[in-house]
Amino acid sequence: MKIKKFITNIFNYYPNHTHQFSLPNNANSFQNTQNENNTEKKIFTSLDINLDYIKTKYNLLINSDIVTREFILNARGKQYKALLLHIDGMVDSQILNDFVLEPLMMRNKNNLFDGEQNRVISEAVTNNITVRKVKKFNLADYIENRLIPQNNIKQENTFEEIFSGVNSGNCALFIDTLDIAFDIDIKGFKQRSIDKPENEVVIKGPHEAFVENIRTNTSLLRRFTNNENLIIESLEIGDITKTKCAVCYMQNIVNEDLVAEVKYRVNNLNIDSLLSAGQLEQLISDNNSLGLPKAISTERPDNAVQHLLEGRVIILVNGSPFAVIVPAIMIDFLTSPEDRNLKSIFANFLRTIRLISAFFALLLPGLYVSVTSFHIEILPTELLYSILAARESVPFPVIFEIIIMEISFEIIREASLRVPSAIGSTIGIVGALVIGQAAVSAGIVSPILIIIVAITALSSFAIPDYSFSFHLRLFRFLFILLGYIAGFLGIGTGLFIYISMICDMESFGVSYSIPYSSMEQLKNTGLILPPIWKREFRASYLATKKEKKQKDISMKWKTQ
Amino acid sequence: MTKQKISTVSAVMLTLSIVVSYITSSLPRTFINETKSATLLNIIYITMIVLFIILLFCKLLKKFPGLDLLDISKFLGGNTLRNIVGTLFIAYFIISSSIMLRNFCEGLVVVYYPLTNYIFIILMFIISIALTNRLGFQSTINTASIVFPLVLISAILLFCGNLDNFSFRKIYPVLGDGAYNTFVLGLKNIGAFGGICYLYFLPPMLKEPEKLKKIAIISVISTGFFILLCVGTLLFMFSFFTTTDEIMPLFSAARHIEFGTFFQRFESVFLLIWIISFCCYLSISCKFATHIFNKMLNLSDMRPILNIFIILIFAISLLPKNYAVSNFVETHIYRYLRIAVGFILGMTILILANFKKRKVGDKH
Repeated sequence: MKIKKFITNIFNYYPNHTHQFSLPNNANSFQNTQNENNTEKKIFTSLDINLDYIKTKYNLLINSDIVTREFILNARGKQYKALLLHIDGMVDSQILNDFVLEPLMMRNKNNLFDGEQNRVISEAVTNNITVRKVKKFNLADYIENRLIPQNNIKQENTFEEIFSGVNSGNCALFIDTLDIAFDIDIKGFKQRSIDKPENEVVIKGPHEAFVENIRTNTSLLRRFTNNENLIIESLEIGDITKTKCAVCYMQNIVNEDLVAEVKYRVNNLNIDSLLSAGQLEQLISDNNSLGLPKAISTERPDNAVQHLLEGRVIILVNGSPFAVIVPAIMIDFLTSPEDRNLKSIFANFLRTIRLISAFFALLLPGLYVSVTSFHIEILPTELLYSILAARESVPFPVIFEIIIMEISFEIIREASLRVPSAIGSTIGIVGALVIGQAAVSAGIVSPILIIIVAITALSSFAIPDYSFSFHLRLFRFLFILLGYIAGFLGIGTGLFIYISMICDMESFGVSYSIPYSSMEQLKNTGLILPPIWKREFRASYLATKKEKKQKDISMKWKTQ
Repeated sequence: MTKQKISTVSAVMLTLSIVVSYITSSLPRTFINETKSATLLNIIYITMIVLFIILLFCKLLKKFPGLDLLDISKFLGGNTLRNIVGTLFIAYFIISSSIMLRNFCEGLVVVYYPLTNYIFIILMFIISIALTNRLGFQSTINTASIVFPLVLISAILLFCGNLDNFSFRKIYPVLGDGAYNTFVLGLKNIGAFGGICYLYFLPPMLKEPEKLKKIAIISVISTGFFILLCVGTLLFMFSFFTTTDEIMPLFSAARHIEFGTFFQRFESVFLLIWIISFCCYLSISCKFATHIFNKMLNLSDMRPILNIFIILIFAISLLPKNYAVSNFVETHIYRYLRIAVGFILGMTILILANFKKRKVGDKH
């Protein structure tokens, strides 16, 4: 039966069912967003109109973390319709309940007090005519001064100011008949107080990382973005676990086709459980036989927001301190969040170093094998002599020698990850002894090979992305084998296949090898980072609604 | 959902990738053999002629915007002519790839793998194109765009690195064996621009088909410059009597590069780049053959028959008995094939189609 199946598999025709999606990468797709109404919108006196406006601006139908709470407010014995607007996860619910809602809703001395007793400021009687100076009643002042026991409260008359407060964790109170709203400071978002990012350490950037709670993570995004155009859509994945996920994007920047594609993929997962962002990344990415990551994974909210503002889509998974960012191109895995905090000259230097590291991590052992086996003439005579002298006492062929060392190193690396941290340093000592000294003394490997393996290992550590580094570590073995089989011919054909496969890959409709393969005039896409004042454009391959992210002359102070 | 198309620069890279394969094998030798010290003059002359032909080609294509040679053949002589032209071009792509592959591999055997049977070396290339042929057309175009700049750098490095070894007097006598040899017999070298016959099939694939003229002109000029650079290196370095004996002349030139005592003998690095570029050429030819076949038969899925072309390339490359035969085929037959198919066949169809278009007006 198996033989029959095997033969059927070979000779049968199976139609090609591949899901294809591509983003247009021309400037025509940029939508004109110049007509956006940027004028300051005044707050309306009607609560219903205010609510409609809030619904539109915050996309309440799809935004999951925006909360509006309508209630009846008691003031001076009268009742007014009121509305509270805040972002879930960014306010302190206890303060909101005890010091905002309760004083306003519950009947108490303050709000039942009609104020008639204190209305008269002064009274004068002249010719039996009593003249009273009466204080004009002002509901807004009354609420601010008497009803809300908060230390930081402001009256604002434009939506822009109110939304800015709400986005930064305040709560807004709208009251029917009033053309102002209150911006009440009840911030209460959770912040990681102890831990810094463990995997993406930067020197000059913020030291905050995502945590396991999705709401805390969305609040971090909100706080960094500070803009009502950030959409956070909630959905559940997994028939059993029903894990909460959030698809986040800037609605005025991102390409809508991209959002639709992400939501399409995320909503069409038929799985029992989803426990981490890593699993989601695999589930929504196209397959590739190279095992290259097709989504950026970050634990840094500032990095996530940077991508968000570039026009990418972020997916958060409850229980996972990582954000999945799509689409991703190859260069993204050679960049670090630190690059943006450094001057471009330093950032470019580091990026070049990382590029060289990637080259070494992938090819150095393979090149060593092919040079020592086939292309000795490339080595200067002195170096050739020292290599031959070092290899004199080694009984194994170079392929055996290098594979032993590479596998030993991988074992040590894996062991150091698995052992309890208390004995972690022991692994380092054992590894150094085994790799560094004992292997050479025993005549199993040559000292020059130790240098090659060490440089390769260090290079793989210099790659910022763990998955990408993993890919290089694995494919290094293939190039070692090709180098041993046919020298530079093997490496050359292997590289050709490798480059072709990378050029064939796409991440959410974006070519993985952009910008070096398409040879188009793409903006802000290369490995080389321009100076900060020159980063005017968003990456063109994302086909965002807003092409520019800063004015042509961003440093206006220089021109004045 | 939009299907990706070829950008202007990528199209230029594509045509240039074709010429790299010619350059790394026997083309410089043929040039120098035939026109001696007038080689550079001949290259400039040939470039200008090809430029004129390509302008004519663009003018003829103007009446068929966005159509390739197959569509134009169909317009001219129906499906029958389309299939004949398609078959001829498929045969041309397959045969040219096979001959070039065999010669390149024979060269590799001589310079690096004297103990290895050439079949194994051919197999390395065959496996690589068999694997990449399953990928999209865009992948090949993108790969060519990445690889060609490396090849160009290697050619410039080859030129600059050998400056010390140059003797510029070797261009004298300027007319070589005489004006007749340079300008009349030298016309045979027009086949070096065989890469432009791929342009016949590009229009429907271009992102901006209206830029075909620009692509064609840049391709011709760049090809001319590239050939000039590589052949110039050889001409200035070696006596043209010794150069003719070299199997891979550029490889021999690479051996002489040295920067101080430490950086010497870098020819294998050049070879690495040329191998990748040669794989690109094979892949492009194979993809074009597949594309034409697909268009002729209107197939929705090419996967089941992809390997047929690769097996054909492999089989044809084994046909010559030895290097002498394959070299004879390349220098004495293939160059005329390039002219016949690349220039005469394509241009004839275009001219006739234009006549027909003029005759029947815009009814079609």
